[in-house]
Amino acid sequence: MLTEEARFQAFMDRINRGEKIEATDWMPEEYRLLLIKLIHMHGVSEIMGAYPEKEWVPKAPTLKRKLAIMAKVQDEVGHGQLLLRVVEDLAAPLNKTREDLIEDIYKNKVKFHNVFHMEARSWADAGLIGWLVDGAAITIQASLLQSSYGPYARVLKRVCAEESFHMKHGESIILALATGTPEQRKMLQEALDYWWESLLFFFGPREITPAVDRMLYYRIRVLTNEELRQKYLDKYVPRIQSLGIKIPDPQLRFDREKNCWVYTDPDWDRFSRMVHFNEGPKSRERVEMRRQAHEDQRWVREALLRARKQAV
Amino acid sequence: MAENKKDFDIFEVFVQETHLDSHIHVGSLVAASPDLAMQMARENFLRRDQAVNLWVVSRSQITATSYESPFFSREMDKTYREVSGYTENGRLWRMFKEKDMDIEEIVAHVREQSNPVAQEEEKPERRESR
Ligand SMILES: [Fe+2]
Ligand SMILES: [Fe+2]
Repeated sequence: MLTEEARFQAFMDRINRGEKIEATDWMPEEYRLLLIKLIHMHGVSEIMGAYPEKEWVPKAPTLKRKLAIMAKVQDEVGHGQLLLRVVEDLAAPLNKTREDLIEDIYKNKVKFHNVFHMEARSWADAGLIGWLVDGAAITIQASLLQSSYGPYARVLKRVCAEESFHMKHGESIILALATGTPEQRKMLQEALDYWWESLLFFFGPREITPAVDRMLYYRIRVLTNEELRQKYLDKYVPRIQSLGIKIPDPQLRFDREKNCWVYTDPDWDRFSRMVHFNEGPKSRERVEMRRQAHEDQRWVREALLRARKQAV
Repeated sequence: MAENKKDFDIFEVFVQETHLDSHIHVGSLVAASPDLAMQMARENFLRRDQAVNLWVVSRSQITATSYESPFFSREMDKTYREVSGYTENGRLWRMFKEKDMDIEEIVAHVREQSNPVAQEEEKPERRESR
């Protein structure tokens, strides 16, 4: 029989060799809890992330745009399903079910990304979400392809494959506006002005929080918040600027000496209140819609189970 | 002979080659129990190929579509769901003197000097556009 310490050491050796951990493997309690925290928040963010864009399905400007944004919303909910499945297996020993994972949203026991608390006011906002919010999410998810937890890394391969369409979809809307009338270009500029700060916040605080530190230790994540934000700015700032729209931050520049982007900090306080207490412009409304969808359809889930019992 | 038919089950075999792959169907075999099916699957399908995991599933447990049913029929063009439906983006980016970017470029960028033990296989699945 291995001692507790030797078992932990053997586990860490596997992680440090770059091996993948599977759901059926022994794992330290802390590893399990960190994974649940991260993937639950990720899954719920995919589901709540469908709301801002879903609001634009009935208002999309052409049939093709309507089909495309509907397909994208459908993908995001699908990502939520895949990720919650991964959490369910991890949370089973703690007696948590899918039911609990969803109820946590409207019991304020799980957070979701700041950007999904905000309002999609115009079609330019919808396009900007598709391009830049998805771009930020893609940057994070691309880095998580290296996660030490096998089931998460595998699901993310599929998610990233679908995100490659989301990139093109978002760009396509933005490019249409950027090559459009002065009015359309103005809409685009206003969208960037409204979203910019929240995009910077999306990656989380500059400092390495204790939870992130542990996730890095276990290779659940491999990059810090700041590293990810810098990678995002590398790829997206030049493209935004090429369109001739202005990033609303006079401090923003690439510092050659420090070899990194310098930017004005977003209002950390305002956005973290938004996330922690559902205080964003759309938080309450969307959480309430999620609650209604879940509660009002409870009878369907129960009827399905009853039908199965009768069939046996 | 009649007894053979009754006692042996057909098992479908699924192999997971690496931790970053899903299980893939490779064929089937007959065996008297799931345990024996597992042994035989190793001998039949994995004499050379590597694997990290193996599933055997009794065929009676599989629910499948029929090849004739219209289950997968597509009522309309779905290129709006595919990267290939957006080739116009490349031309428009060039108008702004920028080049088109795909997800592999981001995957490569986040991997740059980030993880010393990173493995080769960790790329997003390439999905064919229909
Ligand atoms: Fe997604
Ligand atoms: Fe997406």
